Amino acid sequence: MSSFRNFVLALAATFFAPWLCLIVIPHAKMKAQDIEVWEDKQLGTKSSYPAGTPNIFRQGQAIYAREGCALCHTQMIRPTYLGFESWRPGFGKAGTRDNPVRIRETLPGDFSGERFAYLGVQRVGPDLSNAGYRHDEDWHHVHLYDPRSKRDFSVMPSFRHLYTRRKVRGQRAKGALALAGQLDPGKGFEVVPTEAARALVGYLMTLKKDTPLPPAAGEQTQTPVAPAGADKVKKG
Amino acid sequence: MTDNKQADEDVLRRAAIDRSARLPVLFFFTSAAVWLAISVVLGFIQSVKLYAPGFLDAPWLFFLNYGRSNPAFMGALVYGWAIQAGIGVAIWLMARLCRAEVKNPLTLVVAGHFWNLGVLIGVLGIFAGYGTSMEWLAFPRAVWPILLVAYSLMVVWLITMFQRREPGEVYISVWYILGASFWFPWVYITANVFIHILPGAAVAKAATNAWFMSSMIFLVLAPLGLASAYYFIPKILGRPVYSSQLAKIGFWGLAILGGWTGVQKFMGGPLPAWMPAVSGVAVILLLVPILAIAINHHMTIKGNHSLIETSPTMRFTAAGALAFTVFCILSALSAFFSLGQFTQISQTTMAFQLLAVYGFFSLTIFGAIYFIVPRLVGCEWPSGSRIRLHFWFSTYGIVSLVVLHFVGGIWQAAAYSQFDAPLENAVSAGRPYAIGASIAWASIMVSNVMFLYHLSLMVLRLGRRNENPTLLGHQHPAA
Repeated sequence: MSSFRNFVLALAATFFAPWLCLIVIPHAKMKAQDIEVWEDKQLGTKSSYPAGTPNIFRQGQAIYAREGCALCHTQMIRPTYLGFESWRPGFGKAGTRDNPVRIRETLPGDFSGERFAYLGVQRVGPDLSNAGYRHDEDWHHVHLYDPRSKRDFSVMPSFRHLYTRRKVRGQRAKGALALAGQLDPGKGFEVVPTEAARALVGYLMTLKKDTPLPPAAGEQTQTPVAPAGADKVKKG
Repeated sequence: MTDNKQADEDVLRRAAIDRSARLPVLFFFTSAAVWLAISVVLGFIQSVKLYAPGFLDAPWLFFLNYGRSNPAFMGALVYGWAIQAGIGVAIWLMARLCRAEVKNPLTLVVAGHFWNLGVLIGVLGIFAGYGTSMEWLAFPRAVWPILLVAYSLMVVWLITMFQRREPGEVYISVWYILGASFWFPWVYITANVFIHILPGAAVAKAATNAWFMSSMIFLVLAPLGLASAYYFIPKILGRPVYSSQLAKIGFWGLAILGGWTGVQKFMGGPLPAWMPAVSGVAVILLLVPILAIAINHHMTIKGNHSLIETSPTMRFTAAGALAFTVFCILSALSAFFSLGQFTQISQTTMAFQLLAVYGFFSLTIFGAIYFIVPRLVGCEWPSGSRIRLHFWFSTYGIVSLVVLHFVGGIWQAAAYSQFDAPLENAVSAGRPYAIGASIAWASIMVSNVMFLYHLSLMVLRLGRRNENPTLLGHQHPAA
């Protein structure tokens, strides 16, 4: 019987090492991540990374999970040596002339305070790391209701079940979707988002994973110093 | 004379062991086959949804959206079919190899019911909107304790069978089964506790998820599948495993490296760089034990390839073992930046998961089922041509599925990387491959619905009453 005990001990020993290193230690260490605070002398502002209170709309993230959005959309901007797919023009905050790209690769601190990082499974649809900058809420609602009405090539399923078609009582509801053509709910009817749809869009609008970094970690994010005469060039 | 007597006793003993294993093993096989049929139908639906979201899109069918049907299909495939059928095979192998009867078969069946209940709640829960969107952990949070308790109840009997074994050398398959019994709870508890219960960094949880999936493949499915292959290849050839030394190297290599894998999925991602790096190295190093296992199987078969032609078990097992080697080679190649940048997060994910779960594990387990069931029910498979069709539809299906998803994933990743081209190019790049994949799915669907029918005939004792086993050649006309 001692050989069986040795066998189990050997199994435990071989498995304990990766378990400790890949699971236990990262969980323990990453929880206690340092918050870095720095001051921008030119602007006189104080910033920190991770920025502190998470601004993620949790109820919306739960809808994101249950509808399986994470199966087709990533939230992971890879460094450029692995691929440029998330560095599309218009995919992040609008850049300036001197600092055209306001996208940066995803870092651990970007998910601080979230329950789970939906980094991605497959890349069927575009990356959503900075989805909050791209469209307004109305656009998202119509897009979720019928994706093909916004992009005819889309393979995203319709999330009609997150919306209700109802009779207009009195005035048209404020959040009613502006639908035209085939989608028009009919005279005297309107399509309004449910709580779940509002939460989901609220979550999408908070997806802005581009918190500025301390200067040493990323040079791109430093306040650019406008070169002399830049204003004139722009106007001319 | 004494030799004959000994042989007779052996036969009687084996028959007694088989009789004791009949109820639980048939229960696990049948319910697993039902889950397999459900999961392949869901698999077909989700594959069509990937390019035609309008398919089956009546307002009340919203729960079939890709985001829900894909995890539901995966859950049914992995937990409903793979693990359950694997446990059925493990119980039978353990009983045979330890020459111990299955005591308390009823407990096993009760535990099996709980397992099925857990999977059912899980799959329905995903459809009802309680899924978590985590790979292989998409079941609602409440399900994992049910599955864990059910699994523990089943595994306890495997261990007690081992304790009651007849003295002698412990066969390598038993090592693998004990390994899987030991690793599954550890891996499963770790993943669920660290992801669902403990507070922690979100990205560490994502890494744990990736690790979990890989560990399930290398430390649960692989050992069960290899246990089956190590038993049936020598059994059917009637000769011992080529080298027990190589078998041991293979086992301990897998044990040492298997737990390090998985995080390479997020290379370049928001994790400390050493984590994906270590995982990538482990996957590459795994080629050494995998090579040992593959050489061992190859040398055992060498010179007897004709049996792959005739024996269903041999054919399925050999195909499964080959698929495992291919899976490991592709995984190792994808751990390099040059290929990994395309395969990391794309359709290839599906190729890997299906190659492991269907190409390797399921084919091996089909082989085992074709061997075990006739011995439990006392009749032979009704039709050799149906087995042949099952094999060809399955292998054509899985090979084209893997090729399409693998190439399609690379192609689409490359299209996405053209960041200044219109988004439409990238989205449509995956389309032709997704269409091809659903044709492959149709083939897999047909083959497994047929398999379920064939298995039900056996369970209902409607097989051939004949002394000769059903083979794949044309020796036996179907009864």
